[in-house]
Amino acid sequence: MSAPVSPLARFWAEFRRSPVAVAALLVVVVTSLLAIFAPWVAPQDPYDLTTLSLLDARREPGFVGSGGYAHLLGTDPQGRDLLSAILYGMRISLQIGLAAGTVALFLGTTIGILAAYARGWVETVLMRIVDLQLSFPAILLALVLVALLGQGKAQLITALVAAQYAYFARTAYGAATAERRKDYVEAALATPLSGRRVAFFHLLPNCLPPLIVVATVQIANSISLEATLSFLGLGLPVTEPSLGMLISNGFPYMMSGRYWISVYPGIALIVLIVAINLVGDRVRDQFNPRLRR
Amino acid sequence: MTTFRTPRARRALALILAGLASAAGSAHAQDGTLVMGVRGGPESLDPHYSALGSHAEAAKHIYDTLVWSGDDLQIEPGLATSWEVVDDTTWEFKLREGVKFHDGSDFDAEDVKFSIERIPLVSGPTTTTIYVRRVADVEVIDPLTVRIKTDGPAATLPYDFVRLFIVSSEAAADYSTPETANEGFNGGPAAVGTGPYKLVSWEPKGDLVLERYDEYWRGKGPWAEVIRKEMPNDSSRLAALKAGQVDVINYVSSIDYLALQRDASVEAVVGDSVYVMNLQLDQRDEPPGVRAIDGGALESNPLQDPSVREAIDLAIDRETMVQVVLEGLGKPANQMMPPGFFGSNASIAMPEHDPAKARELLAEAGYPDGFEIDLYCTSDRLPGDGAICQGLGQMLSQVGIRTNVNAISKTVYFPAQGRLEYSVFMNGWGTLTGEASYTLGSLAHSNDPELKLGAYNRVDYANDDVDRLLQEGATELDDDKRRALYEEAMAKTMADKVYISLVQLQTVWAAKANTVTFAPRFDEDTLAFFIQPKN
Amino acid sequence: MSGYVLQRLLQAALVMVAMSAIVFVGVYAIGNPVDIVIPPEATQEIRAATIARLGLDLPLWQQYLIFVRNLFDGDLGRSFIYNEPVLSLIAGRLPATLELVLLSVLSATVFGIALGVYAGYRPDSVLAKAIMAVSVLGFSVPTFWIGLILILTFAVNLGWLPAGGRGQTVDLLGVAWSFPTLDGLRHLVLPAVNLALFKFAMMIRLARAGTREVMLGDTIKFARAAGIRESTILRRHLLKLISIPIITVFGLELGSTLAFAVVTETIFSWPGVGKLIIDSIAVLDRPVMVAYLLLTTLLFVVINLTVDLLFALIDPRIRARGAA
Repeated sequence: MSAPVSPLARFWAEFRRSPVAVAALLVVVVTSLLAIFAPWVAPQDPYDLTTLSLLDARREPGFVGSGGYAHLLGTDPQGRDLLSAILYGMRISLQIGLAAGTVALFLGTTIGILAAYARGWVETVLMRIVDLQLSFPAILLALVLVALLGQGKAQLITALVAAQYAYFARTAYGAATAERRKDYVEAALATPLSGRRVAFFHLLPNCLPPLIVVATVQIANSISLEATLSFLGLGLPVTEPSLGMLISNGFPYMMSGRYWISVYPGIALIVLIVAINLVGDRVRDQFNPRLRR
Repeated sequence: MTTFRTPRARRALALILAGLASAAGSAHAQDGTLVMGVRGGPESLDPHYSALGSHAEAAKHIYDTLVWSGDDLQIEPGLATSWEVVDDTTWEFKLREGVKFHDGSDFDAEDVKFSIERIPLVSGPTTTTIYVRRVADVEVIDPLTVRIKTDGPAATLPYDFVRLFIVSSEAAADYSTPETANEGFNGGPAAVGTGPYKLVSWEPKGDLVLERYDEYWRGKGPWAEVIRKEMPNDSSRLAALKAGQVDVINYVSSIDYLALQRDASVEAVVGDSVYVMNLQLDQRDEPPGVRAIDGGALESNPLQDPSVREAIDLAIDRETMVQVVLEGLGKPANQMMPPGFFGSNASIAMPEHDPAKARELLAEAGYPDGFEIDLYCTSDRLPGDGAICQGLGQMLSQVGIRTNVNAISKTVYFPAQGRLEYSVFMNGWGTLTGEASYTLGSLAHSNDPELKLGAYNRVDYANDDVDRLLQEGATELDDDKRRALYEEAMAKTMADKVYISLVQLQTVWAAKANTVTFAPRFDEDTLAFFIQPKN
Repeated sequence: MSGYVLQRLLQAALVMVAMSAIVFVGVYAIGNPVDIVIPPEATQEIRAATIARLGLDLPLWQQYLIFVRNLFDGDLGRSFIYNEPVLSLIAGRLPATLELVLLSVLSATVFGIALGVYAGYRPDSVLAKAIMAVSVLGFSVPTFWIGLILILTFAVNLGWLPAGGRGQTVDLLGVAWSFPTLDGLRHLVLPAVNLALFKFAMMIRLARAGTREVMLGDTIKFARAAGIRESTILRRHLLKLISIPIITVFGLELGSTLAFAVVTETIFSWPGVGKLIIDSIAVLDRPVMVAYLLLTTLLFVVINLTVDLLFALIDPRIRARGAA
């Protein structure tokens, strides 16, 4: 008889069966690595104004610039190497996406589980707030918060967290409530074990699967939302362009034939978001018990 | 599955096909309607509300100014036919006879008095009081003569009146307080002028629809109807022109200009602009946006040191700014006014570009590692403003002055600048009256609210010689002597390098080839009355 | 049942009060609102007079109370920038946004559900896989990017459709609408498609997921076992079973589409409420921001309330619980 297989191994075995999902996961991993190692991989630090030269501005892909190397994807209007700008831009996108997603995850999960555990008016109040926020579109909230708080990474992340924690809260609440009614939880609560231990060791682990699904989708959403805000001019400052701002800066050049300034960052952004969503899709399908027949 | 054959899908298909058909033939110029695509529109239809160029340009369609500024900003008769100095503090203006407002009432001196007195009451954040700042009192002598008493000799009063719009004292009588003004004008009853077009309708940030006023004193305009569409997005505006939705557009960006030169169906008109971009350096002892290279505070303000300012000037490569950042649509500038204006000094040399010397000067001044500054500018006011700012950031960083570039919306920038929150900033200044007292009087003179000089001097610049020259010039009635005073003042101001002029802009208009013709104006206004159809 | 209705109404009212306070305080407390209105070279007297006139020297809670009192008079304040009453500013631009949003949501729902049901019904067919691929793209790609591509392709390169702006309008019931005119429709197509794509993708996914679950469920198995015709199964069972989650989402998504219209309106220069709010945010025109947020919250609260009440009507469990 073979040794028992761990849930993770089982999960991975099934995940592997979809070539699309595996390809998407590969894309996500490679992009993340490139983003993390951008300072070493990129030929230029696009945020360091002392390394730029205006004479390199708006050159087509393949042009050899004043730095002595070929700009594989061309340069932007400030003379930045587009490949480097995209790598650093993805870095920012991933940083913000992960930061916002993680904080929202913690915040939302805490609220959701607390509501499910405490019940009574605490539950009602918390969930009403969460419900209201769920129906309030993220982009509007983010817009107003960014306008009020000003520009900067911290402010942007705060706005994104405020816009997204509700999804986590809702999900955690739903899963925790379902679990709470089960017998083993009732039994645990009857023992002298403190309520917090029950919540942590029993409720939380069973909420994880749907939370993971929500997390992947929300990370993709954060990235998309940040790009939209940057496009509208409400994101990060001009000298630290994220992918959204690169696209926005480059769009006026589309009509005069200098397409690369906008198109390549656009492709990078879409590839990243689509890959994350595909992985999330697959994970969600696998976790959905009603599809297992 | 039958959904793809629903009536809805069929209708959608029909629509697309119909759209294709009608896109083929839409030419506006032939049927007497001019459709203009403009980058910025008026904030309201009250001409006295805002001094912004886009606001005044729209106002010039419905209202007239007392004095007219021609294409090259030289003054000509407008609603006033002649003017002369009566004594040291009095000007007399003779008004044009037989002019009527759109509602049929006569234009007379009462309307002039009413308009001047109304301005301080209804002026908004970008105030128009600068155009009547020298006026102490207005006296109606007879229906066609008005005497203006000034606070001291005011040689350039007629120049100020090129933006003095005249409204009807009867129609606007009830609409001259901040609460009532915009409603009366935007809604219609007060929006009555003597200009070439009558108001039909207006959508804020949308379309301004006008119809020809046949009794206009200059004559009947070439268009029966004029529609000014506000389209702030450069690419959309150009696309609209190419698609035939509009006949003329303004502010073609330098990016698109290059492509337009290869497109035979569109022709571009390029004109020099009155706007010069100036970098301004804080002279206060404790500037908020300047710090040591490691982020800590500095002992003193490096910008107060003339050799530091010279270093900054040397770090700037004006040629590259014009050729690369503006893609050729501009000229290097060495002073705050375009050449040839009254008070421009032709003997000022064009500053050099020498980054090595800049570094030397900085080291000698005690900043071998440089320092850090926050640079502020607008991103949505003049063509290339944000890009020039970023280019500046690069150039300064490369001599050791680490620059944090902040290109922000003009509506946030100007109030903050007015509150003296910025230390190093750059914006364009347009000498709209065509002569130096407007520019030097607002920027170079020390800030003195009693004398009403230095109102836009936000860097605490004070040079006694310059102050003296400007005060003399304001009261000197002899043209040649006055010109010499201003030229000297300009030379001294530019030598101090607190204001560092960078580039003079050029403006580009575009229209469908062979449809219309017009002369580019220095103040960048696009006026329907002066746009002639080619056939 | 009536107890349930009353309870929900009360909660809705409480939410409105809370939101109005939060929004007002949030927008007015940060920075100094007077600076946008006053010319920088204004004298101290003008400054003091303006502050007094706008009531900005009163403590914040007093300003809030005045604000609420004005609300009941129908006065939402005046825009700082345009100096016009905010309500008329918003009301003037609402029809443009409404026709855009309604057209988008309707077409997204109709097409989305149709394609989604098919994809769930025959999940292994080539068409289904293609539909799912399109839906992933529509779901992931940011709205602004699709808008740019649409403009580039259809307006600039092909020249078939206008690049922005609203078309000719006709007056219906005293309001200007553009959809009845051909020119108006031409201008509506691209922005509506742009706005609809995200919802379209979402509807496909929802309908597909719902369909797959139901198809694998017992109801369908038994219906098939009973020998009922496939088309009847589709009509009678499937559509009804997936309608509940779809109605929920539809209601919520209507509101969210209104928000996403902000981006679409900016790209296509569509003169609607969304563009108004973006412009107002960029220049910190606070009265407009506050009024817009309050109206949006009101809209969402009303939508939520309606959906909840509809459910109460449909779902007997809620009715029973409420009556008890």
